[in-house]
Amino acid sequence: MNNTVSFALLHFAFCFTLVSFTPISALELHGTGANMVETTCQKTPFYNLCISALKSDPRSSGANVAGLAQIGTDKLKAKATATLRQITALLKVAKDPKLKMALRDCADYYNAIVKYDIPVAVEAVTKGDPKFGVEGATDAANEADACGRGFKNQPKFPIYASNKVVHDLSAVVASIVQLLL
Amino acid sequence: MADINPLLPVSSSDGSSNLTGQATCRRPIKVVVSIFFGLLTLGLFAALLIRNNGPVDYVDVHENERGSLASTAFEKAENLKPVSRGPAAGVSEKSNWAFGGDLPDYPWNNSMLSWQRTAFHFQPEKNWMNDPNGPLFYKGWYHFFYQYNPNAPVWGDIVWGHAVSKDLIHWLHLPLAMVADQWYDKNGVWTGSATILHDGKIVMLYTGSTTEGVQVQNLAYPADQYDPLLVHWVKYPRNPVLVPPPGIGPNDFRDPTTAWLTSEGKWRITIGSKINKTGIALVYDTKDFINYEMLDGLLHAVPGTGMWECVDFFPVSETENNGLETSINGHGIKHVVKASLDDDRHDYYAIGTYNDRNGTWIPDRPNIDVGIGLRYDYGIYYAAKTFYDQNKKRRVLWGWIGESDSEAADVKKGWASVQSIPRTILFDKKTGTHLLQWPVEEIDSLRLKGKEFNQVRIQAGSVVPLDIDSATQLDIIAEFKIDSDALDKATGSSDASFDCVTSGGAAERGALGPFGLLVLADERLSEQTPVYFYMTKGSDGNLKTFFCNDQSRSSKASDVDKHIYGSLVPVLRGENLSIRILVDHSIIESFGQGGRTVITSRVYPTKAIHGAAKVFLFNNATELNVTASLKTWQMNSAFIQPYPNL
Repeated sequence: MNNTVSFALLHFAFCFTLVSFTPISALELHGTGANMVETTCQKTPFYNLCISALKSDPRSSGANVAGLAQIGTDKLKAKATATLRQITALLKVAKDPKLKMALRDCADYYNAIVKYDIPVAVEAVTKGDPKFGVEGATDAANEADACGRGFKNQPKFPIYASNKVVHDLSAVVASIVQLLL
Repeated sequence: MADINPLLPVSSSDGSSNLTGQATCRRPIKVVVSIFFGLLTLGLFAALLIRNNGPVDYVDVHENERGSLASTAFEKAENLKPVSRGPAAGVSEKSNWAFGGDLPDYPWNNSMLSWQRTAFHFQPEKNWMNDPNGPLFYKGWYHFFYQYNPNAPVWGDIVWGHAVSKDLIHWLHLPLAMVADQWYDKNGVWTGSATILHDGKIVMLYTGSTTEGVQVQNLAYPADQYDPLLVHWVKYPRNPVLVPPPGIGPNDFRDPTTAWLTSEGKWRITIGSKINKTGIALVYDTKDFINYEMLDGLLHAVPGTGMWECVDFFPVSETENNGLETSINGHGIKHVVKASLDDDRHDYYAIGTYNDRNGTWIPDRPNIDVGIGLRYDYGIYYAAKTFYDQNKKRRVLWGWIGESDSEAADVKKGWASVQSIPRTILFDKKTGTHLLQWPVEEIDSLRLKGKEFNQVRIQAGSVVPLDIDSATQLDIIAEFKIDSDALDKATGSSDASFDCVTSGGAAERGALGPFGLLVLADERLSEQTPVYFYMTKGSDGNLKTFFCNDQSRSSKASDVDKHIYGSLVPVLRGENLSIRILVDHSIIESFGQGGRTVITSRVYPTKAIHGAAKVFLFNNATELNVTASLKTWQMNSAFIQPYPNL
């Protein structure tokens, strides 16, 4: 009997430990915070990206759709700014003229994203005229897309992954803001 | 005893385990418990593994921040799926502006970009503009206010721009009328309308977005009623005069209309909003524009249309050819309700009957109710607003025309958006179902050299160049005669599904269409914007006529809108088909059948600019010959500039 009980307790303790080390998000079964993020992300074209972007911000639990839109634009801003820095750094060391040209174009696009598209999206959501936010976020996706097209005939696209995240996250933000219309 | 479960400890000989001596009922419990936890453990491990091997996550993508030129793990540029600009409702992704999506973006140069600026459409000297606000006529001047961003060629930091004109065409810029300097409009001095009172005084109601981002209605009036230019404006010190009522969201309450008098002598306004996905128009009565009573009922509501922005409400005469002052009511009068739908960025109107007693309105034809029926304009046109011009006794319509190029190009060229040429609005007596829009007659004063072409025969499948000099500032009025024999002979098909928007554009040949004009076209037709009719014959023998504007080959650039716009246009027996087109650099306004169906589009050619732009007649039908007669005029610039010596 003792062995049974201790054996069961051992198993239970083991499982419990496992549970606490597994990220909570994988196990949460209920709670309005998680539901709001999940249902919102289901309406975007990149569900997994949406989930990780939003959930990586603690404000996402308990946020309404407008709040999630703001979190999304914050993430997008961070990612776009970082990508712009990457592009600038690459430009300093790049030698191939075609590569330089493509990078310069991308710098232009990313300047537009960081200086115009994202601020428009943020302003539209906070001030309450979301249609301009949809347009700002969509513009950001299109700029990232344009940047990518510049590398179509290039053998290397060094910022491919970052650019894809900016593009996809922009599309996610556009979808979320669309829900506010 | 055989060890039936490998998870169980082998019975030891230390005497602590007396498993083997247990009654048989103990062993099953141990087994069950072990299996349970065993499976649970396996399940958790599996969940963990699956999660980590899933599609690339945001948190996992921190490939080296320095990027890597030396990286061997490069990826070829995948064709990232471009996203259509603006709400996607009703527009399929496949027809978005990535028609040439595999090509690198067109390198816009200054010549191409500077050419895009219009010569006779209202636009500020630079930066962003959107909705028309508070248009009015006062002491000899037409006033125009507009949503303006003084800081950038994108939306934001919105304030009220202001301009005046003697003739709705030659505009002079004035200083900003209102800026965001109060808590109740700190986050935006948004759209509003003017009302002229009995004594001739003006009151302006507009939406402010407060420091908390709540939409409220505010009152403002001219600082000096004797100043015909109305340069300075004063905000009522105890604004706001209206806040969102119970049940209405703080972001769903904007764009108050011009007021009209009720039979009780009160002023009445309407404000668009929504409840869930039903678009609605709230109604308020007031005596002083400071205190309001909200009516219990709504002016009108249509489910599924979403937020109603820039609602407009006005009377039209069923019999007379003049406009009506906003308060007029009575026999032979219909009322129009118009809403800008947030969800699809289009302006819709419906004609119906207003009940003054309870402040409600019902459409004549509920199947084409507000938001689900007729549009002012089937192209790029939004936030339209009318005003009664007491000077010439007409109702005049303003509409915001946005850009349909890339936002990067807007930033490069330093400006975005124009206004349509103001249009008169009349009830179409002939159809009884449509409004007619027509550019104000003052635009004719811009006409310079004219050329007439009579009875030009356009065979099926041909293109006829028109010999006019410059083709970037034009007024064209064209009439098309068709062989009635050909119409009779054409076989009707049961294919009732033609729609300009989903069609193959002017390249899609039908028996009875398309035919019309090619504008902003270069000599080789490598770029062209067709404005045309397309007729179909149903299996019942009934003819339908569509009026379309095809942007799909309007430019070599891949980063501009390539959609096809248009709609059904009613054509009555005995009517010739007629088109009027105003070409003004990057804007085309086209009017079918005297303005029964109107399409405005923005066009950004790379070759068909300056002297290289030409005009052609075309007939791409297979079984129809068409005869066209037209007049074309070069159009002068309107020289829109700041008011001198202010």
